[in-house]
Amino acid sequence: MLRTPLHESHRALGARLVDFAGWEMPIQFEGILAEHRAVRSSAGVFDVSHMGQLFVSGPKAAAFLAWVTTWDIRNLEPARCRYCHILDDEGHIIDDTIVYCLAPDEFLLVPNAATTDRIADWLASQINDFDASLEDCSAELACIALQGPDAPQLLEMHLALAVEPFSLARQGNLIVSGTGYTGEPGCEIILPVDAALPVWEALLALGATPCGLGARDTLRLERGMLLSGTDFDGSQTPLEANCGWVIGWGHQFIGREPLLAQRGSGYAVLRGIQLAERGVPRPGCDIFHNGERVGCLTSGTLSPSLGTGIGLAYLNLEPGTAVTVAVRGKHLNARVVRPPFQ
Amino acid sequence: MSEIPEELLYAESHEWLRQRDDGSCLLGISDHAQQALSDVVFVELPAVGDTFGAGDSVAVAESVKAASDIYAPVAGEITEVNQQLEEAPELLNESPYELGWIVAFKPAVTPQGLLNAAAYRKAIA
Repeated sequence: MLRTPLHESHRALGARLVDFAGWEMPIQFEGILAEHRAVRSSAGVFDVSHMGQLFVSGPKAAAFLAWVTTWDIRNLEPARCRYCHILDDEGHIIDDTIVYCLAPDEFLLVPNAATTDRIADWLASQINDFDASLEDCSAELACIALQGPDAPQLLEMHLALAVEPFSLARQGNLIVSGTGYTGEPGCEIILPVDAALPVWEALLALGATPCGLGARDTLRLERGMLLSGTDFDGSQTPLEANCGWVIGWGHQFIGREPLLAQRGSGYAVLRGIQLAERGVPRPGCDIFHNGERVGCLTSGTLSPSLGTGIGLAYLNLEPGTAVTVAVRGKHLNARVVRPPFQ
Repeated sequence: MSEIPEELLYAESHEWLRQRDDGSCLLGISDHAQQALSDVVFVELPAVGDTFGAGDSVAVAESVKAASDIYAPVAGEITEVNQQLEEAPELLNESPYELGWIVAFKPAVTPQGLLNAAAYRKAIA
């Protein structure tokens, strides 16, 4: 299994380690609930070094990225980031990613761990028509996410740096962006593997709580953020995933025509589901409306912040509709809602 | 290190059993089990009067990540459930042998084949 440069530190902290997309990653340190609360109330740090880092550079790098993503990257200004989707020819989401504009002719993409190789191959298959080159630096780079209301203060204390949401700053060989996967203020720090441990330890010493992938999942789900491979698996479009906002319609990109055809037609959309009674909904739980099965949960958990069961599902139902969720053989009352959950 | 009180009996599936003077038994999960489960966020309880066979699931403890069945080591009938767990499922983590008991039941037969503390300690070593 692959290990991040922080592996020994995780073991020393007593983390519970699991296989995630071929990486041995901490699922939790002290416990998912405590870590979740730390991020919502103060600050947590996550080792997300399993994420990929693909650099695209050259005179036509922006034009190339506009072609292979849903956003017109030619309009992305230096020192800004953009969340967008990478689609196949049918308009299905291969992966979601953040594109960083490091310079007008230099960009960084951060795809998910499980899809980095696939995205690298896909981009390589499309880049020939452009004066641009692609370099996969995933093995040389680590990533640390610092998240929570106190995160900006800790970043200021450690690096004397501030980043606005979706902006980025470079300091030495560090790339710091105002991004994350928790819905809280904070940043993600991309840095060489050798530089990761001192930064991680400094943030812990400043009081940030070490957090694992378990809390990362409950935090992102409360805010309705998609999990690659779970909430989309290669067979859904961004419209179906309720992410029309990631599409820049004014430019040509792979998958645009099928999306145009889908727009305005009836299709199931990824909705939030919130339980009205006790229970823990899990991925795969069936959803019923008027006695008929209408879909199933892609994600589901007990929301640590709200104390209620929450989940996501592709449904042809509007927010506000009453449904039931089959949880371990029992039909629990629930409602279709619009995330973020509250 | 997990705590294993001497006076209890244990199942290999990590439940503990406390035999009471009136012939009834209390059932819960071991310290080892609660550590493995980690934060318990929901406990599904049976109803008083429910009957069950040896090895049947009588309750479910759910953590953020997973649901775990709690098995009866012997056949019997539920006489009490710990309703505090509905509001405070975390009692399974905080006090697995006392406040975090799950059900009381009347065994149909004398419980047999369970492990004493020493044998359970060996089983989870």
